[in-house]
Amino acid sequence: MLAYVIRRLLLMIPTLIGITFLVFMLFALSPGGIGAALRFSGGGGQSGQDARAQQAYLEDRYGLDDPAAVQYVRWLARISPIKFGNRDQRDPAGTIIRPPKPLKEPSLIGVLYGSRDQLVKPSPVVPAQLDDAPDQRNSAYRNAASNYQNERLDFIAAETDLRLALSTWGTTQGIRKVLNAKSKLDPSKLRGLKLPELVDGAVPITNVPQAIRDQGTAATSAYIDASRNVVQAYERAIAVHNEAQKARDHLANVYAGKPYPEVGFPIIPGALSVGPPDFGTSFSRSQPVLALIRTALPVTLLLNMIAVPLIYLIAIPSGILAATRAGSWFDVCSGAFYVALWSVPVVWAGTLLIGFVANERSGLGWFPVAGLHSPEADAMPFLPVWGQTNGFLLDTMLHICLPVACLVYAGFAVLSKQTRAAMLDNFNADYVRTAKAKGVSHKDVVMKHVFRNSLLPVITMFAAVFPAMLAGSVVVEKIFSVPGMGKLVLDGINLRDRELLLANTLMIATVNLLALLLADILYALADPRVTYD
Amino acid sequence: MTKSTGAITGIQAMRGEGVHVSQGFWADAWERVVKRPGAIMGLTWISIVALFAVLSPLVASGHPLIMWELNEAGERGAMSSPLLANLKTVDWLILFWTVVCGVGFLLPLKLKRSTKLGWIIALSLQTVLTVIVAAMVKGYASARDASDFVRGLEQSKQFVPAVSVLSALLCAGLFLLAPTLRNIWKRIVFVAIVGAVAATAIGLTWKAPPPRYLYMQRELAGEIEAIYTVVPWSPSQRVTDRSAQRLEPGESAGSALAETLTVELPLMGPIGADGVDTVISGISDLPLRPEQKDDVRTAFQKWAEEEQAARAKDPKYPELDSQRATSALRDILYADGQPYYLGTDNMGQDVLSQIMHASRLSISIGLVSTGIAVLIGVTLGALMGYFGGWIDMMLYRVVEVFMAIPVLFTLIVAAGVLPRNTYVMMAIIGCFTWHYAARFTRAEFLKLRNQDFVQSARAAGLPLRSILFKHMLPNGVTPVLVDSSFRIALAILFEAILSFLGLGPVDQPSWGRLLSDAAGDSGAFAWWLAIFPGFAIFLTVLAYNLLGEALRDAIDPKLRKARV
Amino acid sequence: MANTATTPSTTSKAPTPKPIMRVDDLAVSFDNGRGPRIQAVDGVRMSVYPRQTLAVVGESGCGKSVTAMSSMQLVPRPPGRFDRGRILWTGSGGEVDLLTLNDRQMREIRGNDIAMIFQEPMTSLNPVYTVGDQILEAILLHQNVTAREAIDIAVQAMDDVGIPNPKARLRAYPHQFSGGMRQRVMIAMALACQPKLLLADEPTTALDVTIQAQILELLRELQQTRDMAVMLITHNLGVVAENADVVCVMYAGRVVEYANVFELFSNPMHPYTRGLFASIPKMRTRRDRLVTITEVTENPKEFEKLPGASEGVRPWWPWHTPPKDLKAAPGPAGDYFLQEVKPNHWVGVWRTAAVHDHESRAPDLTYRIVDDPEKIALRPKAEHLAQSVGGD
Repeated sequence: MLAYVIRRLLLMIPTLIGITFLVFMLFALSPGGIGAALRFSGGGGQSGQDARAQQAYLEDRYGLDDPAAVQYVRWLARISPIKFGNRDQRDPAGTIIRPPKPLKEPSLIGVLYGSRDQLVKPSPVVPAQLDDAPDQRNSAYRNAASNYQNERLDFIAAETDLRLALSTWGTTQGIRKVLNAKSKLDPSKLRGLKLPELVDGAVPITNVPQAIRDQGTAATSAYIDASRNVVQAYERAIAVHNEAQKARDHLANVYAGKPYPEVGFPIIPGALSVGPPDFGTSFSRSQPVLALIRTALPVTLLLNMIAVPLIYLIAIPSGILAATRAGSWFDVCSGAFYVALWSVPVVWAGTLLIGFVANERSGLGWFPVAGLHSPEADAMPFLPVWGQTNGFLLDTMLHICLPVACLVYAGFAVLSKQTRAAMLDNFNADYVRTAKAKGVSHKDVVMKHVFRNSLLPVITMFAAVFPAMLAGSVVVEKIFSVPGMGKLVLDGINLRDRELLLANTLMIATVNLLALLLADILYALADPRVTYD
Repeated sequence: MTKSTGAITGIQAMRGEGVHVSQGFWADAWERVVKRPGAIMGLTWISIVALFAVLSPLVASGHPLIMWELNEAGERGAMSSPLLANLKTVDWLILFWTVVCGVGFLLPLKLKRSTKLGWIIALSLQTVLTVIVAAMVKGYASARDASDFVRGLEQSKQFVPAVSVLSALLCAGLFLLAPTLRNIWKRIVFVAIVGAVAATAIGLTWKAPPPRYLYMQRELAGEIEAIYTVVPWSPSQRVTDRSAQRLEPGESAGSALAETLTVELPLMGPIGADGVDTVISGISDLPLRPEQKDDVRTAFQKWAEEEQAARAKDPKYPELDSQRATSALRDILYADGQPYYLGTDNMGQDVLSQIMHASRLSISIGLVSTGIAVLIGVTLGALMGYFGGWIDMMLYRVVEVFMAIPVLFTLIVAAGVLPRNTYVMMAIIGCFTWHYAARFTRAEFLKLRNQDFVQSARAAGLPLRSILFKHMLPNGVTPVLVDSSFRIALAILFEAILSFLGLGPVDQPSWGRLLSDAAGDSGAFAWWLAIFPGFAIFLTVLAYNLLGEALRDAIDPKLRKARV
Repeated sequence: MANTATTPSTTSKAPTPKPIMRVDDLAVSFDNGRGPRIQAVDGVRMSVYPRQTLAVVGESGCGKSVTAMSSMQLVPRPPGRFDRGRILWTGSGGEVDLLTLNDRQMREIRGNDIAMIFQEPMTSLNPVYTVGDQILEAILLHQNVTAREAIDIAVQAMDDVGIPNPKARLRAYPHQFSGGMRQRVMIAMALACQPKLLLADEPTTALDVTIQAQILELLRELQQTRDMAVMLITHNLGVVAENADVVCVMYAGRVVEYANVFELFSNPMHPYTRGLFASIPKMRTRRDRLVTITEVTENPKEFEKLPGASEGVRPWWPWHTPPKDLKAAPGPAGDYFLQEVKPNHWVGVWRTAAVHDHESRAPDLTYRIVDDPEKIALRPKAEHLAQSVGGD
């Protein structure tokens, strides 16, 4: 059995890789590609500064110019517990710190600008001598990091300007779509062109290509302006780049001085280590993803841990009752009722419950409308005090009631029907006849023989019910504003919070797979014929 | 056996007497299905929804059915039908083929039901494909970042006919390969007719004018006279007036007009005769026909006089205040305005019209996405089950990946990041639910592979194609097809949930999106937005579930005999 | 032959003059959904005496299992229904009609007085309980013993049926046994409460030939040691020849012939029985091919061989039109009668005038081979038959 469980756990790894790959590729397929979040947030909601910060973050983490598959592998390496190279460091807030990436060059500098001489080259890393006091070390790193961050953002802004200038310049020469759909420069279009030489910050007419001069003065002056803009943009980009490069070198030195404790256990020092997975930082919430999941996952699990046993507790007796009275009015009515119940869309049930049961204006106002706790819940005692306060426990219970009801009704309808069908199946089995021939009473035949065997398909149903519940709780959490995994996902979706969604996918798939494994183990315990050897 | 009594003996039963002789597996199953009241109810509701899916552009539209231009003397001039002129390609094709197929089904043609069904499926697939190809070309050609060459092409006169004919030809060629008809010449004729109809519809409706609903204003201005259809609102037609948002069922735009009028009155306290005058002068600003204005004015004046008379008689009678004046005016205007039978949503769009138009999305998304899932699932499942070995191992890992995570969750992520339109929605629901069909088919094929009839077919040296398609497939897909009714229900449910979460197709009425308007941002609860669309989703899902139950009971012999 | 058959009045060795179970005019039918009702059993009469083995023979669907199941009220109702008739059981408390017992009374009898073993040893045991649990359940239900004593009884029962290492095997699950062993478990379970009658519903059909012989041998042995009557339901004539004292041949829900095993094998009278025998290959005979049952039953001459044929006694056959002189009794199955056409040999005949006027007694044979020393030696004569038809 143990060997089987271990094998199953190991088999989960490729499955998890598969599912995250699927989700990653969905991002890649989406309009705007993997970097789409940039355009999204650049447009609405976030300031340009934030968008640039996000771009810097994504560039560091994934290398946005690489193919999607490479970026995916990079993500995998981050979350893999087995790490290569030097160990990462962790700051007091829990964020994993990594050495800074090399800085990119301004676009097409080698192609168009002629030379890279003006760019400052990265200098070799010399570990900085840091103070022993942790505070000092922290602030040293923080300063270096924020300094680099500012320079970096300036550089990204300059780079954006440069791209726009290049695009305009390309357009003056009759090239459409210099920037592609992802607002990236298409270098193949500009290759082969040359920037005109500037004299005293202006382009002499003689340096304008004859083809453009032939188009008239308007075209010529447009060309001259665009060219000057490009050159100026290059100069600015180079200047900012050089500043950023210096800041980066400094940061690299500080990092090499190990301002923070390293994470994980070394296996081969400097080459191989085992460390905690790094799920990155959610940019819709500016918090480490792991911290978000740590608060959200228990909520979702709480909902499911209450709902799943409840489903079984209601479904099994009602299924047995229906089966033992097959054909009676109870059986027919309950059968019809269950079909109806499981056809009720959970969104509808949730809306109706909120509108007619929870809402004080339009409904009964029996339950709180949203959330997991009342705002004042933290100040409450744990247990209720009669006449004064509901207490933390009861308050939470009241909040949970409606979401759990939404989760339960469909699952219990399905399961009840399944129990009934399984029972009926077993009523016809040969061993039931044997038991009757032995003189076992009808009640014992049902409860001891038939029920015990019907339990097997009911346990198998867990594998179908649980994923549905897990997914259902995503919707239910949204409807009732319960701060669980589902709400996290849906909030992340609109901002395309890639880190959050990938980590959530991983978590939900893991929970799901563990539940399925549990179902298989339970099955083996319930059915002596099944052994996992 | 000579015994004339009703009963038969066990020996006769063993020899197969007393067993109903069936006409064929599916026909027999269908006969059993339609005997169940649940299935009848389900089928009835699905037919109603399908009817609305076909007729909604005719039944619910803000464009007048018939419109006359009026000259200055108020005489009728040229007659036109903006409703028909604004029909989209798909509307035309659906209407045309529904009529043709309806007639074809009723006519006593000597054809089997399954043959007719096969033709309908073939022609709808070909039509849909043609429309999609043309739409893709259209989208590419009119894109903002299209190259000059493509732009130039689009401007040319021959572009529209060329595209419609070419896309029709392309799809016709494809469907020539499908075995709709044995005889190749008949097949060519069939495919050509379908292609020609599609090409004509595409060509004629290429340049759709952006819909503008200025008819009521023009009518008020006396420029036109119009006769509207049953529900005189288009689903996307918005009343710009803020007060027209979230109107309760039965309220009209007229009552909304009265609300706008109140802003010019003092909100509290008595308004006196001045107030009455203000209201009356305000009436002339309302977008009403001159004679309507007169009517409203007279009615309101009469009401105000009665009020004054009542007050003169009884000093305790409350003074005229803005609230009572408004409600009186509302009542007067109400009789005049066009009521929203099921109210309006958060953007002031008619709910009934949206519910009707959304039925097309609901019907098509269920069928198409399940079709995609079954197609992928059966193909891969059959491969896995028949060949086994490493093909099975590789593909089954993929199935496991899809099973590892709740379908709804993947759908939410996919719908969140991919473009939000109907076709993508169908594709993602199809592509993320195929693994059920694959598992069923695989299990069935694994079982069939070792059965004697397949072994003997193999031993007889039949080609693989014949073994797979003729001998195994019809047996192997039965559980998938029985299950597919539940899958359709599930797909409709998924669409509703995604739309509810705001991840559904944009600019497309959807029951789920309407439902999400019920609990508004302000916390106020619009019951009509919860009840009507929710009930539509519920009934449709229930209908497919009932149908599925009946089908499963009719086909699954194990369940059929299950009695204590 | 007739003189060798014993009647109750001439045997002093007969332990009880009364049959332990008597089936009287039993009719059972089943609802068949949209089709016509299936009349599985219609006017069946038979009797079993203590320590006797009654073999009920017939093809699938002839109603033999339904008869046995009816006597334990195991026929599922609905769709089944007892139309008429009685099954009289002579137990410690006198004679009772098993069909009229209520559920609680029936449970007293089931497993305790009458036990049953079934055709499918693979599925007849509950897969989720150990065989010990299942045997103990029967013992604890019917015997007033402690759990410890019950375990001893169970071990003894398993030992009796030849299961090696019974104590350890008590804790094993059914799937850990082979088919033959499972049938032994079934028998142990059935016999744990010392029943007076064992209904064996094709106990060996699902087993392979060598195991079949072992199981039947075991049944015979247990019957000898326990003073138990057996109703052996089978379609295997070899099994009948080897084990039965009295044979009851059924067809289409009715008894067509009823006689002791020697009488029946040497002098089959109903054409259907003759057809059955003719279709069995015989050693030391040369034939190109076997005669089928239909060849016999489709020959009109075969139906004119009964004693009293000249007076109009005709074998009943459902596929024939009734003879013209039919004098049917009122009520269902009135066209048929199980007539003692010669002493101690009953044949199902049309109720023609000849039969109507001379109705015989109901089938009732106390014959047992063990009481008949001359015939024990003859048993091997039947055995060659068993070998030749054994492997079906």
